[in-house]
Amino acid sequence: MFTLNNQLEMKKITVSSLISCIYLPSIVTVISYKGLLYTVGNGSSFYILVLIFVAEILKAFYLSESNNEAQQKRSKPGKSRASDIVKSFIFLLCVMFCFFVGIILFGAPVLESHEETLMLSALLTLLTVFPLIAHAGVETSMQLLFGVKSYTKDSIFEMLVNNSILTVCGAWLGAVVIPLDWNTPWQQWPIPCYLGALGGYLLSNATNCRRTCLGTCRLRVAATSRSVLRRRTRLYSDIYVSQNRFRVLARETELPATSV
Amino acid sequence: MLSTLQHRWTGFYLLLMALAALSLFLYGYFPIKYHTGQISRRNHLPTSINGVPIDGQQVYNPGETSVILMVIDGLRYDFVTEEYMPFTGQLLKNKSACVYVSVAEPPTVTMPRIKSPERKVEKAQWRRTINFWRDIFAMMTGSISTFADVALNFGAPAVTGDSVLRVAQSRKKKSVMYGDDTWLRLFPGMWAESDGTTSFYVTDYTEVDNNVTRHLDKVLTPDEKNKPTFDFLVFHYLGLDHIGHLEGARSPKIKPKLIEMDEVVKKIYKEMSKWDRTGVLFVCGDHGMRDAGGHGGASSSEVLVPLVVAKTNDYLCPYDNGRGPYVAQVDLAPSIAWLLDSPIPGDSTGRVLPSLLPRDTLQQLYLLHYVAAHNARAVALQLGQTPKEKEFYKQYERAQAQFAHYLTTKQESAAKIAKEFYEQALTEMSKYLTESTVEFDMFAIVSALVVLYAVTVALVCVTLYSLQTEERRRHSVTRHLHRRTQAGALVAFVIVLCVALFTLTVACAISESKSNLCSYDPNWIPVFIAIAAGLTFTFFLIKTAIENDFDLNVLKDLNAIDYLLIGGTVFHAWSFLGTSFIEEEHMTWYFFWNTLMFFVLIRTVVVVVMYLSKKLLGATEVQEKPHLEERMSAGISIMPKWVALIALHRYLRTMNQTGDRWLFLPDTADWLNAPENSDYLQAHVIVGTLLTAVICLRNVKFTNNSMYLQSLLTILSTICIFCYRLASKSVDPTATFIDIQSWDTVDIVNVFWALLIIQTMLEISSFIGLLKPFTGKAGHPNFEPVNNKQFVYIKPKAKTEDYVYGTDDDEPFNCSEVKMNLACSLTHLMYNHMMLIIILLMRPHNVIMVPSIYVTCQLTSECLDHKLLDSRPGRKTEALDVLSRTLAHIWIGYVFFFYQGNSNSLASVDLSAGYVGLRDYCAARVALRMGLHAHAAPAHAGAALLAAAARGRHYTSVSLGSAGCGGLRDYCAARVALRMGLHAHAAAARGRHYQRYLKSLWQISNILALQRVYQVCVYAAIATAFRHHLFVWTVFSPKLLYDFVATVFTAQALFTIVNIILVTNWTNVVAKAVATKSRL
Repeated sequence: MFTLNNQLEMKKITVSSLISCIYLPSIVTVISYKGLLYTVGNGSSFYILVLIFVAEILKAFYLSESNNEAQQKRSKPGKSRASDIVKSFIFLLCVMFCFFVGIILFGAPVLESHEETLMLSALLTLLTVFPLIAHAGVETSMQLLFGVKSYTKDSIFEMLVNNSILTVCGAWLGAVVIPLDWNTPWQQWPIPCYLGALGGYLLSNATNCRRTCLGTCRLRVAATSRSVLRRRTRLYSDIYVSQNRFRVLARETELPATSV
Repeated sequence: MLSTLQHRWTGFYLLLMALAALSLFLYGYFPIKYHTGQISRRNHLPTSINGVPIDGQQVYNPGETSVILMVIDGLRYDFVTEEYMPFTGQLLKNKSACVYVSVAEPPTVTMPRIKSPERKVEKAQWRRTINFWRDIFAMMTGSISTFADVALNFGAPAVTGDSVLRVAQSRKKKSVMYGDDTWLRLFPGMWAESDGTTSFYVTDYTEVDNNVTRHLDKVLTPDEKNKPTFDFLVFHYLGLDHIGHLEGARSPKIKPKLIEMDEVVKKIYKEMSKWDRTGVLFVCGDHGMRDAGGHGGASSSEVLVPLVVAKTNDYLCPYDNGRGPYVAQVDLAPSIAWLLDSPIPGDSTGRVLPSLLPRDTLQQLYLLHYVAAHNARAVALQLGQTPKEKEFYKQYERAQAQFAHYLTTKQESAAKIAKEFYEQALTEMSKYLTESTVEFDMFAIVSALVVLYAVTVALVCVTLYSLQTEERRRHSVTRHLHRRTQAGALVAFVIVLCVALFTLTVACAISESKSNLCSYDPNWIPVFIAIAAGLTFTFFLIKTAIENDFDLNVLKDLNAIDYLLIGGTVFHAWSFLGTSFIEEEHMTWYFFWNTLMFFVLIRTVVVVVMYLSKKLLGATEVQEKPHLEERMSAGISIMPKWVALIALHRYLRTMNQTGDRWLFLPDTADWLNAPENSDYLQAHVIVGTLLTAVICLRNVKFTNNSMYLQSLLTILSTICIFCYRLASKSVDPTATFIDIQSWDTVDIVNVFWALLIIQTMLEISSFIGLLKPFTGKAGHPNFEPVNNKQFVYIKPKAKTEDYVYGTDDDEPFNCSEVKMNLACSLTHLMYNHMMLIIILLMRPHNVIMVPSIYVTCQLTSECLDHKLLDSRPGRKTEALDVLSRTLAHIWIGYVFFFYQGNSNSLASVDLSAGYVGLRDYCAARVALRMGLHAHAAPAHAGAALLAAAARGRHYTSVSLGSAGCGGLRDYCAARVALRMGLHAHAAAARGRHYQRYLKSLWQISNILALQRVYQVCVYAAIATAFRHHLFVWTVFSPKLLYDFVATVFTAQALFTIVNIILVTNWTNVVAKAVATKSRL
C-alpha cells in the first residue's frame, strides 16, 4: 500500500501501529471480561471513547513530536494553538454529524436509538478523522480527505488514511450479520458495526506492522550493502568515481535517495 | 452458429430456454400431489369380497362412538410419563390407554414479539396457518400435504378436498371445536359449535387455555339419555407451547401446565366412562420443543410427539407399558372416520391404528379390507392403472382370497393369514403413497440444473460478445465467415444431439431413476429430446463464442462503481446460502443500494471539490479545458439532487416493513393508514398521481405525431384514476365531486383501458399515415413538415426528377429515422401506460413509489455516466454505460420491489390488487394483475431503461449540462437540419442512431437475461442442496416461486422489446405501402 521512505517514518509507523494493536485488544478484552461487551452502544460506554481518545492523542504527539525541525518552525507558536484546537474541535463535530446522518441514511433507526448511533459515529470519527487532524491539522486533512492533495510522498499520512478507510469498511461489513436469525445479543444495533469498526482499525494497524517489519528486513539488507559499499569505496583511490558508483549502486539496491 | 451468436434476440431465446428448464426444475422440486379430490361416500363400502357378498354397511359400523381429539401444542414424547402427567401415566400402566410415537413435520413458527396493527396480524396469521397446516391437514384428511397445496391456496387457506370433518358432516355427525381458530379457517362451515381463540400473544399462557377449558364442563355433560351431545370434539391447547417459547422445556412452569392438562384428560376420561356410549380420546401434540425453548429444528425432542389413545369400553392396550410403535400422523384420519361410522376421506393414505381394531374377526378383516382397497385405489389412480405387478398388490389380492375363504368356511386360520397379508400390504402401500408424494424427482432436477448452467454459460458468452467494441467484432466476423458450410453445421448439430441423447439415456439407465423423464412415455419423449436439443444448442453457442476469442478491452475501463455493481450482482445470488438472507433479502439490496449511493455521492463530492480548489488556485487546466468546466457544473447541479434522493430513499425504506424479523415493527404505512392521518395519506395519493401525470406528459413529448391528442388522452386517464380512487373511497371527495363516489369502479377502469388502447392505436395509425386530419400536413412530400414535432416520410432525393419509385425499397424514404421515431414513441407510450396501470393497482400509500422510481432512474442514469465520473476523457465507454445502467436499473427494481412491501414469503402477496376493476373472478386476469402489482418496480425500472435507450441521450449528447432535455436538444438539431434542407444528412444521423439503438437493445436484453438466469441457476442449485432443510417450505419454496414469476416477467419484458421492434418494422412496411399508393 505504501512505500517506506526512511527509517524514522518507519519506526514511527511501527511503534504507533504496535500501540494500537496492543491497546485496542486490551480494551476489548477487559470489557468483554467484565461482561460489558454488549453495552458498547450505550452512553455508559463513553469511557471507551475517552480511552481511545487519550491513546490516539498520545500517538499523535508521538508521531509529530520528533518531526524534523522544518515543520516545527513552520507551525506557529502560542496564540494560534488555541484557535487550532477550537477549529479542529468544530471540524470533528461536523464530521461526527456527517457520520451520524450518513449512518441514519444508511438504515439506522431514525426516531429511536439515537444514543447508539451517536456513539458509533463518535467512534468512527475518533478512529478515522481524529488521528489525521491531530497529526496534520484541519486544512491539510481536509485537503487529503477530498483528494486535493495527494499523500503519496508521506507514508504516515498514507497509513492514517488507510486506517480510516479500513475502519469504515469494517463498520460497513459489520452490518452484514444484523439480518441473520441467530438471535444473539451481539446482533443488537450498533454492536456489530461498532466492533466491525474496531476490527477494521485493528486489521489495518496489524497489516501496517507486518509491512513495516518486512520493510525493516529490506532496509537492513540495504544497510549491510551500504556498509559493504563504504568499505569498498575506501579501496578506490578516486573518491569521485567511487561516489558515482555508490550512487549507481544505491539506485540498484532501491535505496531511497534521502537516506544516502 | 456465429450468426446465432450475433443475433439480436439470442438472449431472449436463451431466457426462454431457461424458463423451460426452470419449469422442469419446479416440476421435479414440488412433488406432484395426487389429490384426487374425490369425495368418498358411504356406498363406496365394498359389498363383496372376491365375489362373496357381505353386508358392508352393517359390518363396518363400530357402534355408537364419540371421539375427542385433544391437541396439546408442544407436547413432546417424554412428557407423557407418570412424572409429568400422573393420570395418563396411570392409564398407560394398566393398559387402558396406548401411546404411539408419531413423527411430526418440523414446524417453523415465528411468533410476533410485540403488538402489531391489524394489517400485519393478517400476515402473521397466515404464517401460523401454514405451520399448523401440515399437522392438521395430515390428521384430518389423512394425506400428506405438499407445498403446492399451500401455494395454490394462499388466498383462502381452507381445505377444499375431502376430510374427516366433511365425511362426519355428511353422516350428520356433530363436530365441535374449542381452541386455536386455525381449525375454523381450515375447515369453515364444518362445525356445529365452536369457539376459536387467537394465539397472538405468546406471553399469555393461562388465558389462552382457560378459554378452552371453560367449555369443558358444559360440552362433556351428557344429555337426558346419558349420551354426549357431540360426536366429534376437538380441543386445541396452546399454553404449553407458549411456555416453551418463553422459557424452554426446563421451565418450572412446564410441570404445573402439564398437570393442568392431565387434569383435563382425567376429567374427560371420567366423564366418558359415565356415558352410555363408547368414548375414544386421542391426545396428541403437533410438535415437540427444545430444552432451550422454541422449536424449528429436527432434533428428536422436537419432532417426536406422543399420540395417546384411550377408549372407555372393551379396550386393552396390546403393548407393554402401553408404549406402542411408530405410527404416522395420517393414520389418525381413517381411525377417526371409522369410529364416526363414516367412510374414509377420499385422499386418505393411512390405516386404522392397530390397537383400535375391533375384536370381532369379521369386522376386523372387513375394516382392513376396506382400508386396503381404498389405498389400492389411490395407488391405482396415481399410476393411472392397477398396479398388478407390484408386490403389495399381489399381497392384497392374496389377502382378499383368504378373506373370501374365511367368509365361506369360517376358518380361523384363513382369517389369521388374511389379517397378516392385509397388514403387510397396507404397510407397503402407505410407504409407497407417502414416498411418491414427498419424493423429489431428482433426475428432472439435475437435468434442469445442467440446462440452466449451460444456458448461463452461453449467456455469459453472448453478453461478453455483445459488449465488445464494434471493430473487433467485425474483424472476427471476417475471419470466421466461411469456416463451415450450412450442411456441415447441420450434420455437426445432429451428431452432437445424438451424443446428448445417448448421454441422457445412459444417465437414466445408470441412475435407475423412477422419474417420468426416464419412462420413455410418449408424452415425455418431447421433453427428453428438448433437453438434449437445448444442451446441443448451448454447446454450439459456447463453442463458437470461445473460438472467437474475446476482446475485452472495454472491461479494462471499469470504475469502482461498475465493480460494485457487478460484484454486488454476482454476490447477491450466493447470499441465498443463508436462509436469513433469503428471508431478509431486502436488507441485502438496501445495503448494496446505499453503498452505491454513497459511492456516487463521494465521487461527485470529490470531483466538485477538486474542481473548486483548482479554480480557486487559478490552475491553467481549468481555462484550457472547457469540457472539464462543463463536467464540474454538471456535478455541482447533481449533488444536491443526489443528497435529496438519498433522503427520499431513506423515507421510502420506512414505508413498509418487510421480511421476517422486523415485519412487526410499526412503519410509515401503518401510520398513514391510521384513520386520524388520512389527510396525509390522501396527500400521498394525490401527489403521487399528479407527479406521475406530469412525468407522463413529459414522456408524451417523445411521441411524435399527435402530441396534443396524446396529452389529452393522458390527462383523461389520470382523471380516470382519480375517479377510481374517489369511488373506491381512498380519497375523500370535496363537495363538487361527491357524486363520483357512487360510480361503479369497474366502469371507470374499463374506460381507463379504452383510453390506453386508443392512445396506442392512434400512435401506430398516425405513423402508417392514416390520420392525416390529425397530423395536419404530414404525409405530403412537398410540404415542409417541420413546424412542430410532426414526422413524415421524406424522400432524401425528392428533387431528383428521374428517380424511380419503388425500385429499391430502402432508398427513397428515411426508413431508419421513421423506425427510430416510432420505436421511441412506442416505448414511451408503453412506459406511460405501465406507470398509469401501476398507479391504478397500487395501495394508496405506495402510489408515491411510482414517481420515485422515475426520479431515481433518471438521476442514476446521469450520475453513472462514465464521462462524468472518470477523469480520463476520450474513451469509448458506450458499452460500459449500457452495462452499468442496466445493472443499476435492475438494482433499482429490486430495491423498490422491497420498498413496496414485498418479501420472499407468500404472505406478502397483495391479493386485493388482483381484483381492481373486475366484477368476477377470472384466474388469468387476477394473476396478471397480482403479478404486475408485485413486480411493479422491476417492470417499471426496466421500462425506464428501455425508454432511456430509445431516447438515446447518452449516445448522442456528450454534453451533460442539459440533463433532462439532452434528447430534445438532439431532436432540435435534427429539426434544424431538416429545416435547412439537409434531409439526407439528418436522416443519416437518425439512421445511425437507430443502429446504435438496436445495438444497445441487444446489449441490454443480454444483460437482463444473464442476470436473471444466473440468479435462478445459482438459487436452483442452492435449493437443491438444501432440499431437506427445515425451512424448505417456508423459505426456499416461496422464493423459488418468486424467482419463477420474476423470470416470466423478464421474458415478458424482452418479448415487449421484440414486439416493439417488430411492430416498428411492420408499420414501416404498411406505411410504405400506404405512402406509395397515395402518391400513385
